Amino acid sequence: MTASVDLADFLPAYLAEVEELLDSAHRHLMAVEASARRGAAHPKSVRELFRALHTIKGLSAMVDVEPIVSISHWMETSLRQADQAGGRLPESSVEPLMEGLRAVEQRMRQLASGKDASPVPSGLLERLEALGVSTSVVTGTARPVAVTLDEGLALASRLTPVEREQLTTGAGHRRPVRVDFIPGAERAARGITINSVRERLAALGDLVKVVPLAGPAPGGGSLTFVLLLSTEASDSVLMEAAGGEPAQVRALSSPPVSPAVDGTPAPEREPELELEEPEEARRSTGTLRVEVSRLDEALERLASLVVNRSRLQRAVTDLTAAGAPTRELRAILQENGRQLRDMRAAILRLRMVRVGDVLDRLPLLVRGLRRTTGKAVRLELDVGDAELDKAVADRMLPALVHLVRNAVDHALESPEERRAAGKPLEGTVRLGCHANASGWVDLTITDDGRGVDAEAVARRARAPVPRGSDDLLELLCRPGFSTREEVTSTSGRGMGMDIVRRIVVDQLGGELRLETRLGVGTTFHLRVPLTITLLDAIIFECAGLRYAVAVGSVEELIEVEATRVVRPAGANGVALVERRGQAVSLVSLARLLGSTQAVDATPARGLVVRQRGDLVAFGVDRLLGQQEIVLRPLEDPLVRVPGVAGATDLGDGQPTLVLDLNALGAARRPGAGGREERAT
Amino acid sequence: MSVLHVVFKVDGAEYVLPASDVLQMESFTGATPVPGAASHVEGLVQVRGRVIPVVDARRRFGLPALERSLDTRVVVGQLGTRTVGLLVDSAREVLKLDPSKFQPPPPLVVEGSKGFVKAVAQVGPRLVMLIDFPRVIGEETPDGDGKR
Repeated sequence: MTASVDLADFLPAYLAEVEELLDSAHRHLMAVEASARRGAAHPKSVRELFRALHTIKGLSAMVDVEPIVSISHWMETSLRQADQAGGRLPESSVEPLMEGLRAVEQRMRQLASGKDASPVPSGLLERLEALGVSTSVVTGTARPVAVTLDEGLALASRLTPVEREQLTTGAGHRRPVRVDFIPGAERAARGITINSVRERLAALGDLVKVVPLAGPAPGGGSLTFVLLLSTEASDSVLMEAAGGEPAQVRALSSPPVSPAVDGTPAPEREPELELEEPEEARRSTGTLRVEVSRLDEALERLASLVVNRSRLQRAVTDLTAAGAPTRELRAILQENGRQLRDMRAAILRLRMVRVGDVLDRLPLLVRGLRRTTGKAVRLELDVGDAELDKAVADRMLPALVHLVRNAVDHALESPEERRAAGKPLEGTVRLGCHANASGWVDLTITDDGRGVDAEAVARRARAPVPRGSDDLLELLCRPGFSTREEVTSTSGRGMGMDIVRRIVVDQLGGELRLETRLGVGTTFHLRVPLTITLLDAIIFECAGLRYAVAVGSVEELIEVEATRVVRPAGANGVALVERRGQAVSLVSLARLLGSTQAVDATPARGLVVRQRGDLVAFGVDRLLGQQEIVLRPLEDPLVRVPGVAGATDLGDGQPTLVLDLNALGAARRPGAGGREERAT
Repeated sequence: MSVLHVVFKVDGAEYVLPASDVLQMESFTGATPVPGAASHVEGLVQVRGRVIPVVDARRRFGLPALERSLDTRVVVGQLGTRTVGLLVDSAREVLKLDPSKFQPPPPLVVEGSKGFVKAVAQVGPRLVMLIDFPRVIGEETPDGDGKR
């Protein structure tokens, strides 16, 4: 069925959106919990939580993920009642709700990895349902209005009991409606797609389900989306939202609901009306979600502009040398260079994310640790408005999670120990962050725990007692080092500090320091670059050394057959190979790199690069593969040479050069010993 | 007022650098050559996550190459914002030296050392030479020496 293809297209967007909503839900649930513990109400967070779940439910119904629909529905129900009780949620309700969020999250992950969402865990729905009942007793909520569904029109077989209930129990003036939308090229051109229609209808009522139907549709289409919703909007309003003909709007209930069945007073519904409005406000907050790959693409396009500019510059230099009046041209060129730099900075800024947003999950982590370790912990985040490149942030997060987990699990003492030591019973883990001017971000993770016992560490590592904190850190970062005998569920066996160092120091080129005082606490100082450059690179071997080049700079990889290489006399080492009926110069890269090894043997592989419009093949010995690398620019003047874009760590702790073949070929052309002389 | 100095050996002679200019000393396991860099640049090494250039002191001083051994060290020096390593035969000592004891190098030393030696000091029977680090690593002139 063609429709399933359409749904698969929705899935990535669905997952991204639900993930964001889950983050928000977690955050607000924790805020609610904090208030509940003080016996206070937190109407704003209850409402936000409700809104997040409401949207999750709607989205999940669209892509037909029944378990998530059910879970979010019952969570929503209990929250609706908490909202009507003025934002008061009993503390005992937090855990089942937390459990619900976890269950939703788990199913999200299953979907993301291409699996089906597993059914709702046994007992969860009952526990969530029970919450609704217990709070509803307090409030006396709007009574559901029973409506009979027109089963045929409602595609009854496709509806779950929950959805059926949602459709039929719309309070007050709501009635169940079926809107048929037929997508088409002409409608798409006017911006009317299933997504826009879904959004508009969702704003008009409670969108319960979207069912795609394949088959001939009015107006010549072959696909119909059936949208089932509970709304109080009139048919004409719905028709307009669906983009007019050939869409159809049909009522699903035979008898229209009378306004005041059982004397349900209209004001009861007001909180819900309010809930729907900010939803619209949320959509118009000028932020945009963009795939990182698109930003990278923009950066790549910019790179080609920069290359083009240097060609232009060379041409102008030649003109100038020939005595042409180029003053104005050079001024423009200079301005152009500045603009390109600004452009690059602007694109890099797009990739920045707030550190605070990245650390969203840490409070949740600490909350979990509080439960598993039985320790009282307070997490203080002091991250301000600092920003980090998304690529750095993504790599940093596991290291931070590790350090926070270590702090709670290993560093903080049990409440009894803390009492005995005269410390506050509640331990503190503090995460601070600020950007400094020179392109680095400093992060600190401080605990007020027992501190690192250098002697104990030395005993365990079977090493002499470290003298300074650098040496101590060195010991802690030994692969597989652990201060614990037993495996704990939270940190496993190892401290895993080697992983932290691997990320911070080796991968990101940052710094890691330790400061610790026995009985007082420990601080880890991390310094990471604000931004890193990621490259998809081809790794190859040449004259016994490994090198990397950007995939984008290589047009083609060819196999070089020794028997088919032509060596024109006097070409000084440049040979010719045939590629699709065309002669391409073949330059030995080893020779170009000035290798002292014998380089007369014909290289086995060629990396074909376009140079000033012509193709040149650089001969190498062996291709080792393709991988994403972190490019470290070489800043020292001693090693800033044309043709070398930077270095990277392929995991062996040795720098591997990242070559810019284009620049390398050009730099070594004239005046460099005439290594390359091309016959044109 | 004495100041800590790191002592290292190149071709039997002893040189010193103020310890405050030295970040650390590392054993040497090979450097990644950088094609096109000055001849005295041995290559790149990764020291605690940083990728830094290493200058071969022997080649810089115009001395014959020596087989690397377990004693071979990279003295990692800090020069403003730059971090550069100096490859030496060995480095295992730290000395307290009084800066006022340093004398201008004798003419013969000046001539032989191409200006790399800033001052000399007598420590008991030993003569140690204070090197001009910026000059040794060859500041902004990647092709400054041109000879080996």
